[in-house]
Amino acid sequence: MVSSRVIRNLKKEFRQSGLAKLGLALVVIIALTAVFAPFIAPHNPTDQQLNQSELPPIGFSETAERTSSQMVDGEIQTVTEEVEINADPDHVFGTDGLGRDMFSRVVYGARTSLVVGVLGTLLAASIGVPVGLLAGYHRGRVDDALMRIADISLAFPSLVLAVALIGLWGRAAVNVPDPFVVAGLAPEMPESFVLPITVVIVVGLVNWVWFARVARGEALSLRGQEYVKASRALGADDNTIILRHVLPNAITPIIVLGTVQVAAIILLESSLSFLGFSGTTLSWGFDIAQGRDYVSSGQWWIASIPGLAIMLSVIGINLLGDWLRDALDPGIEGEGGAA
Amino acid sequence: MSLGRFALKRSLQGVGVVWGVVTVVFALRFVTPGSPINAVAPLDASQETRQAIAAELGLDQPLYVQYGQYIFDLLRGDMGFSYIRGQDVTTLVFGRLPATVELAVAASVVAIVLAIPLGVISATRRNEPIDYGATLLSLGGISTPNFWLGIMLILIFAVEFNIFNTSGRGVTVVDVAFSVVNADPFVGTLLTWLAYITLPAIALGTYFMALITRLTRSGMLDELSKGYVQAARAKGLPRTLIRYKHALRNTLIPVITVLGLQLGTLIGGAVITEAVFSWPGLGSLVIDSINNRDWPTLQGSLIVIGTSFVFVNILVDVVYAYLDPEVVTD
Repeated sequence: MVSSRVIRNLKKEFRQSGLAKLGLALVVIIALTAVFAPFIAPHNPTDQQLNQSELPPIGFSETAERTSSQMVDGEIQTVTEEVEINADPDHVFGTDGLGRDMFSRVVYGARTSLVVGVLGTLLAASIGVPVGLLAGYHRGRVDDALMRIADISLAFPSLVLAVALIGLWGRAAVNVPDPFVVAGLAPEMPESFVLPITVVIVVGLVNWVWFARVARGEALSLRGQEYVKASRALGADDNTIILRHVLPNAITPIIVLGTVQVAAIILLESSLSFLGFSGTTLSWGFDIAQGRDYVSSGQWWIASIPGLAIMLSVIGINLLGDWLRDALDPGIEGEGGAA
Repeated sequence: MSLGRFALKRSLQGVGVVWGVVTVVFALRFVTPGSPINAVAPLDASQETRQAIAAELGLDQPLYVQYGQYIFDLLRGDMGFSYIRGQDVTTLVFGRLPATVELAVAASVVAIVLAIPLGVISATRRNEPIDYGATLLSLGGISTPNFWLGIMLILIFAVEFNIFNTSGRGVTVVDVAFSVVNADPFVGTLLTWLAYITLPAIALGTYFMALITRLTRSGMLDELSKGYVQAARAKGLPRTLIRYKHALRNTLIPVITVLGLQLGTLIGGAVITEAVFSWPGLGSLVIDSINNRDWPTLQGSLIVIGTSFVFVNILVDVVYAYLDPEVVTD
């Protein structure tokens, strides 16, 4: 399934490509952040400290005008005064409008993004790959039906379809206890991780078509191969052939697609959270939506920082996808010089 | 097969897909929790309204009669009535469609005008600083959430520099075109139009700019290594001619196909871009109708979005077949 040639290519491509190293580094950092969030986050990300709201990130202390009503000579007057708003070293990325620590929120947001991205991709693949392999292998009516379903499904933009389904079904979430907190290792943190289950199901249902198309294409080209014909002649039944011979040889493009899909689903999840369709309030998209209301009053960091986190994660995963594609499919390696 | 027959065949397939789209949207009525009446009636509807809706939807009829009636109504251009907005869904949806089309076209223009030269330059100056710059720019572009980019653009160009408007549509492109006839100041109308559309068009177009840059770059590298390019160079044809006339033409064929497939992403992106910039298009209508549980409007919007996608893709296929006649013979 994974031959030594494949591993050699992966290593060779990795050594040669600085971007692949950057991609892997970004993904490893984000994955570790997501897993060990309770130890990395200095504060509970849901803790509100209203007297410490809207603090700027470190290095961005600023003066702001604050108006207040004061008693002057027995009359109430509106007084405008310049106040120093100093960054608090305790809040590296500053705080949001409710005084929650932005750094801790960004750390915990990585969990939501990665978990939804990975689970959504697995769900999409577990629907799309079998359907695509069966359709491409058997051809005929099953295949025709699949292609029509794929056409219909593609006619709705993923985001529109996802929003419509969540609108109809509601936004359910499941509380998954945080093992570190349960074990008493990180007691200050939220006790459970809120998994937006509807979002996972919906992104899986919306994106399975991409896997079905790729798996079908592979099965179509593999079904005519000599070794498949040979095992059919030896009397192997179709399901065994698909499982033993077609799937292992179709796995490479599926893995490459899967990587890109994790990035696509992270973007989709952040869009859904931004629009308020997620079911969890600990998500980068949700924080951007909160921060949007502060953009015109000068608190730029509340919306900017979570967006940078999304961007870096997606860049990392896309670079990883480029690396896998280049290493696993040497056919597309561009060798041509410029004219 | 001639091009005409190919177009006809694809159109017939397209009608089949649209039928499927309509069927899925019809079925949405039944996956809504509770009675299908809930899918149509406002939450606070009176008993009389609910009964009126039940009778109007023909819920007492067998399913196939309801389905037949739904299709029949659609063919007459009747997409139902929004009780929440007190308006005909058809009027509502087609009233919003032009704004979305205008935004999508503007974003595509921004994307194509920047991306194709960037992709070509990147490919012809491979491994030079400009190539690295373009590669990083396009990597960032495909990885940036467009709603966040929109907010950042607002932060920089509207809040800090106060150059552009951040909310609403101002004037339409039609107003700009007719400002001459109507003796309005043309430049003023044009500037107003630009003040509103520039930021949303950039926010929506950036992803596509990045995608087209990547596709153009890799396509150009591929073409430039082919034999016909070397033959053309050996003949002494000018480089510019080879690059822009021969290689680019062949590069653009697959780029067009990918763009057709990505049209859904463009419309999906428009939904969220419209939400950020309060752009009064179909996208904000979709979000509003979900938040208000206005299902008839949602259904109508979905049908229009799905149908437009199918027909633009047919158009893309026919253009593709025209550019590359081999497709038709398959």
